[in-house]
Amino acid sequence: MAEFTLPANSKVKAGKKHPAAKNAKKPKTFKIYRWTPDDDANPALDEYPIDLGNCGPMVLDALIHIKNDIDSTLTFRRSCREGICGSCAMNIDGTNTLACTKPIDEVKGDVKIYPLPHMPVVKDLVPDLTHVYAQYAAIEPWMQTQSAPPSRERLQSPAEREKLDGLYECILCFCCTTSCPSYWWNGERYLGPAILLQAYRWIADSRDEAAGERLDALEDPFRLYRCHTIMNCTRTCPKGLNPAKAIAEIKKLMVERV
Amino acid sequence: MPSHHSQKRLVGPLSRARGLGSAKHGLQHWWAQRVSAVALVPLTLWFVYSVVHLTGADQARVHDWLARPASAILMSLFIVAMFHHLALGLQTVIEDYVHREGVKLTALLLVKGLIVLTAAAALFTVLHVAVGG
Amino acid sequence: MAEAAPPPRTRPISPFLFPPTGTYRWQMTSTMSILHRITGVALGVGALLLTWWLLALLGEPSDFAAVQDFLGSIFGHFLLLGWTWALFYHLSNGIRHLVWDTGHALTLPNVYRGGWLVIGMSVVLTLATWLAGYWLR
Repeated sequence: MAEFTLPANSKVKAGKKHPAAKNAKKPKTFKIYRWTPDDDANPALDEYPIDLGNCGPMVLDALIHIKNDIDSTLTFRRSCREGICGSCAMNIDGTNTLACTKPIDEVKGDVKIYPLPHMPVVKDLVPDLTHVYAQYAAIEPWMQTQSAPPSRERLQSPAEREKLDGLYECILCFCCTTSCPSYWWNGERYLGPAILLQAYRWIADSRDEAAGERLDALEDPFRLYRCHTIMNCTRTCPKGLNPAKAIAEIKKLMVERV
Repeated sequence: MPSHHSQKRLVGPLSRARGLGSAKHGLQHWWAQRVSAVALVPLTLWFVYSVVHLTGADQARVHDWLARPASAILMSLFIVAMFHHLALGLQTVIEDYVHREGVKLTALLLVKGLIVLTAAAALFTVLHVAVGG
Repeated sequence: MAEAAPPPRTRPISPFLFPPTGTYRWQMTSTMSILHRITGVALGVGALLLTWWLLALLGEPSDFAAVQDFLGSIFGHFLLLGWTWALFYHLSNGIRHLVWDTGHALTLPNVYRGGWLVIGMSVVLTLATWLAGYWLR
């Protein structure tokens, strides 16, 4: 059976309560998922009552403030802090998003932060992305051609180029994939919204010559058809993209080529 | 996602992601579910309309209604489309949640068997009544 | 000989699903999706009842009256009301899915608009059907 509850080693316990910031101008409590491979303890939700007067406006600013000034053991991925690298994807206030573009003010009450859902945890807010990256490699995300290379660039009309809008912007943060219940139950075999959007990005590219082979590789009860148009992917994409629409277009092409 | 299993088996990530390859089917199931759904839109509305008109009816009245050719034909189509749609839908549900191959196959066979049996009984009744039973 | 390093600890799975057990916020998208599935399975059980009702046509008039009496009881009414709503929800949301399959109405505002339309339709059609049933009785 698909597991609807967390295994025993993954159940989240109450964690450490750090002391409240003194004379806080703008107090806010952050509850953050913690787990370390260094001891035998279960994951725990640690509480950090901080002063928003001491940090910037985004959730990532608060995480950096906590790591710098309160608890240096807190582990998370971050790089660009402007929504283009996809490193700081996590579950904030019940939905997946990028910590760097999520304003703290949008969260009512305590800010609860977990790693991306239903993923193996490396440490704290760092999920193991090995399998999704391998799924990405499996769709061969590069241009494939048979015809001889031209002496200059492969040309594309403005209309053909426009077909890649809404696809090329994907930063592979996997907010969508890990928001999808179907991926929770069948992530082993279902490719998930991010990878399917990427697959469509190459199918839709007028310069690519392998659309047929790409569709062959996708036509599978699990790889593609575990998508039940639940729409959590589009609902959560921090870049405002529409993976569900890309998947619908793949399914339409499957019908079209019969 | 049971990644700890693959850690034990030491399967490489790409090998795990590619698995047994594409089954090269899935479109047919998806398409049949849509076609039966489209057929069921008018058939369901007709069915609800008919049943509402039969509220509180006794056996003779329902029998007379079903014996009419239009009722018998539409009811037969409704039964075929509905049970087909049901079988396709329940197959997806089972595949989603039941992962052990043996249990999955058993569940699929049991559910499909029950559906075929029920559909046959319903269809037989309609034909029996229509042909003058 | 150097002592072998202890085996790495099994990594936990991060929380998922919905409160109170999980972390993912209840929202219209996934809620309507799981309702589509639940109503579909419920209608499958309803199909058994429909078959029972049809089979009773082949028996004695008293056999059929027994089925009708069961459906006329309070429990029978409760079941039928549930099935009526499930039917109209699954029908309306099924049409929403068919529209999506053509590639239309997949933008987030349309997903929510369509969602509320489906919920409204399912309630209105259920009430209309039952009023018609009482009126025609």
